[in-house]
Parts: sequence; C-alpha cells; structure tokens
Amino acid sequence: MGHVLQLFIYGLQLGSLYALLAMGYTLVFGIIKMINLAHADLMMLGAFAAYFLFQWFGGSGNSAALVVLIMIGTMLFGALVGFVIERFAYKPLRGRTTVASLVAAIGVQLFIENLMRCIPGVGALPKNFPTLLPKTNISVGGYQISSTQIIVIAIAAVLLIFMQWLCYHTSLGKQMQAVSVDKDASALMGINVNRVISITFSLGAALAAICGILYGSLYPTIYVYMAGSIGNKAFISAVIGGIGNIKGAMLGGLIIGIMEVFLQSFAADISYGLCFAILILVLLYKPTGLLGGKAVREKV
Amino acid sequence: MSNLSVKNLHVSYGTVNAVRGVSFEVHEGEIVTLIGANGAGKTTLLRAISGLEKAKSGSILFDDTDLVKLQAHKIVEQGIVHIPEGRRIFPNLSVYDNLMMGAHLRKDAKGIKEDLEDCFEIFPRLKERSSQLGGTLSGGEQQMLAIARGIMTHGNTMLLDEPSMGLAPIVVDEIFEVIKRINKRGTTVLLVEQNANIALKNADRAYVLETGTIVNEGKARDLLHDPTIRAAYLGC
Repeated sequence: MGHVLQLFIYGLQLGSLYALLAMGYTLVFGIIKMINLAHADLMMLGAFAAYFLFQWFGGSGNSAALVVLIMIGTMLFGALVGFVIERFAYKPLRGRTTVASLVAAIGVQLFIENLMRCIPGVGALPKNFPTLLPKTNISVGGYQISSTQIIVIAIAAVLLIFMQWLCYHTSLGKQMQAVSVDKDASALMGINVNRVISITFSLGAALAAICGILYGSLYPTIYVYMAGSIGNKAFISAVIGGIGNIKGAMLGGLIIGIMEVFLQSFAADISYGLCFAILILVLLYKPTGLLGGKAVREKV
Repeated sequence: MSNLSVKNLHVSYGTVNAVRGVSFEVHEGEIVTLIGANGAGKTTLLRAISGLEKAKSGSILFDDTDLVKLQAHKIVEQGIVHIPEGRRIFPNLSVYDNLMMGAHLRKDAKGIKEDLEDCFEIFPRLKERSSQLGGTLSGGEQQMLAIARGIMTHGNTMLLDEPSMGLAPIVVDEIFEVIKRINKRGTTVLLVEQNANIALKNADRAYVLETGTIVNEGKARDLLHDPTIRAAYLGC
C-alpha cells in the first residue's frame, strides 16, 4: 500500500508538470489554432533563468523570500520571452497556412536551443539545478516521500486552479473564449484581439517557465535539450484531454504522468511508447479528446 | 449634419477589387439601406467601415474622425456597432455573457444595467434564455441576440448585415419591427440587404450597389416604385 502511494505521488508530481506545460499548448491552440512546438523550450529557458538568478542573488543561502522572488522573476522572464516570440515570429504569419506557423515554431525551437548553447555559462553540458525548495524526507509506511514533491504538487495545483478561475470567471477569460471562437466578432465588441492573443501567449509561457523550476527541483539536472521528451508528453496530454480545453489539459497531464510512473515501475522500456498507444486509442475513439467539446452545429 | 460619410472608397482582396470608388452618406437618425446582388460588395463595404477590412484608398469620416486609420476595436469606441452577416454570436458563451461582451468597453455599471433591461424588454425570449449557451438558440433568436449584443455597446450608429438571412418571413418581420424601434430611439441605421423589398419598405434612403460601385440612389419609397429597380431586384 505504501509503495502504491509512493508511486502515486511520483505520478502526481510528473503529471502536474505535464499539466502545466499542456496548459500552454492548449491555451495557444485554443486561441489561434496553432501548435506551438517551441513551447516546451520555455520550460528550459525558465530553468536556466532560475539557475542564473540563484547564482547572482542567492549564492549559498536560500531564504523563502528569495525563492519566491526567483519564481516570480522566472515567470516574468518567461512571459516576456513568450510575448516577444509571438510578436516577432508568429504574429507576422497569422492568417497564413497552418504549415507556415508550424515551420515558424520549429524555427523558434531550433533558434532558442542553439542560442542557449552559444551563451557562455550555458553550453551543451548539463548543469546541476540548485536546491531551491526544502528537502526533508517524510516516511509513509516505510516509504519515503520528500517535501519537495509535496511543494511541487501544491504549487502546480495552485497555478492550475488559478488558470481555471482566470479562464472561466474573469473578464479576461471571457475575452479569451470569445477570441478563440470568432476574432472578427470579438473585435466588433471592442476587444483588442491582438492584445488578448499576446496575453494568452505570455500566460502559457510563464507557466512553462515556472515549470522549469519545478522540474529542476525534482530532477536536478538541466540542459539545453531537456524540453524534448517532456514537451512531447505534455503535448500528448493536451491532445488526450482535448486540445483547446483547459480542464482537458489538467486531466490529460495527470493521466499521462501517473500512467507513466506506474508503467515504469515494472516495464520502463515501453512506458514512453504506451503514451503514444493511448494517444492513438483516444484519437480513434474520441478524436476531440476526452473532454473535447461537441462541435456546436451552426444554425442558419 | 452628416454622421457617416464615405468618400471614394476602394477595398480589395488581393487582386479582386470588391469596392471601387464608393461614396455615400448616412445622416443622423436615418435608416439607409444598401441593396445589391450577391457579390456586389455590400458586406465588404460594411467590413471596411467597422475596420475588419483595410481600405486601399478613400476616407470614411464619422463626424470628424477618419475611421480608415483606426483598428476595429477602436472604431467600436467611436459609437459604430456592426452586426455581422451570419450573426456571429459566441456559441460557447451564455446569452448573458454574449450580451455582456457587447458592454465590454463600458465602465458605466448603471447604463449597462439599463441597456440590459432594455434588451430584455425588446427581446423577452432572450431573458428567458439568458443562461443558455448562445449556440443552442434558434436562427431567429441568434439574430435577436446579435442585435441585442449590439445595443449593449451603446453605439449611436448600427451597421446591419443581412439581418433577414435564412429566417422565416414572420421572423423577418419581427426583426424589422425591432430595427425600426431601435431607430426611433435615436440610433442611426445602415442596413445591407439582399431582400430589397423589405429593406426599401423600411428605409428612408437607399443606394444600389453593383459590382463595387453605386449605380443608383434616392428615397427608398421612390426606388421601390422605380421600374428598373423593380425589374432587377424585386422580381416584378
């Protein structure tokens, strides 16, 4: 029983990272129907931003206040990068074919990764992520759970609940929903469509950036290409949950995270492959994803 | 005094010149209709006025502001409200949220509440369905919602694109009653219609658009009895 609980906690922590990242994929897809393949690289940028912020300001000691400041700084940095990417790489291509924006996203991904490699002090070699979150082990029925895990899950949960509230219960959220279904009609209501799209990108990017901190705290090796498989799995999560659907991103993330950990405990080799198998099954039987909306029929 | 004045306007999509040197005026308090066949450039003209389409040249003066330079969401602030073709309500938002989206730019809570009560008085059916999703309404109800959402912007000039499209005759009459009623309360109306008969019966003045240019204009009542118009647009 203790073992199952331990695996469950591991699944939950991984799943909440996927959910946070999936949220970014889903927000961007929801609003401009674009698959932002460069999204997970913002997680890598967030991890490095926190790494350098800690080197510059933390040194040895890490008070709670400093950690909170690093988190806020990293999220602001992520939001800024997200804003810049959208403004200069994606916006000029809006309204063109989907292939154009897909290629642009691949370009941005290559650009970010290789730019980071060139920066002195980053390079291609892995770095040890500093211990920002307190690390004491708690024993449950003979199995160890670390306080880092609990804190990561709690932070992710707070952020996910916040996003849920933001998207469905605020004026900004209503604007996002309006822009996502009809940009012209939104503009006719006086909504500044470009501004809403920028904010959406920045929000997703900020979530990815803090995800970098959470990831680094759990698996403390960060490197330029870390986005790869995490990004893929987060994207699968978003699709399984129903891309464009906020709750779907959370659900998909948790399903993939928990499933991956349980599978890994007895068949590590096939767990990644099984993620894709589940994706295929979902796409076969429910192409819009588990929580994907029923298409509303147009009335004439 | 002229409210809306379009001068020598050109709009094109790529190589297609949809609107070629159109000039017309809408005076405060009027109902003016633009009639013309499918593809004459009526919708493009409205989209250019509300900023959804960029004009190639010419000017669109609203009082003293040239709308050509403004983005769509800035034009709404000027008091122009465009009810687009095909209603374009938000199917994923409730009727109430759709209406509130119309009041998006407004800060006057009291005025918003009054306009909402107004909308519910004009369209009692929207009140009954205020918590229903927009996408679940019937075609006629969606057109009512689109107009009500326009009222919520509190604009003084309403551009209506094909409000009769796809609706049963009895519903069309109902919609036009509402348009007249809104006009009587002081809203200027620019109406685009393929249904020339009902448009000319309800408007004060009319312009006839053919392949991007204005070919005829006059009092709506006169055009209704003009033999060439009757032959071309009224089918008699």
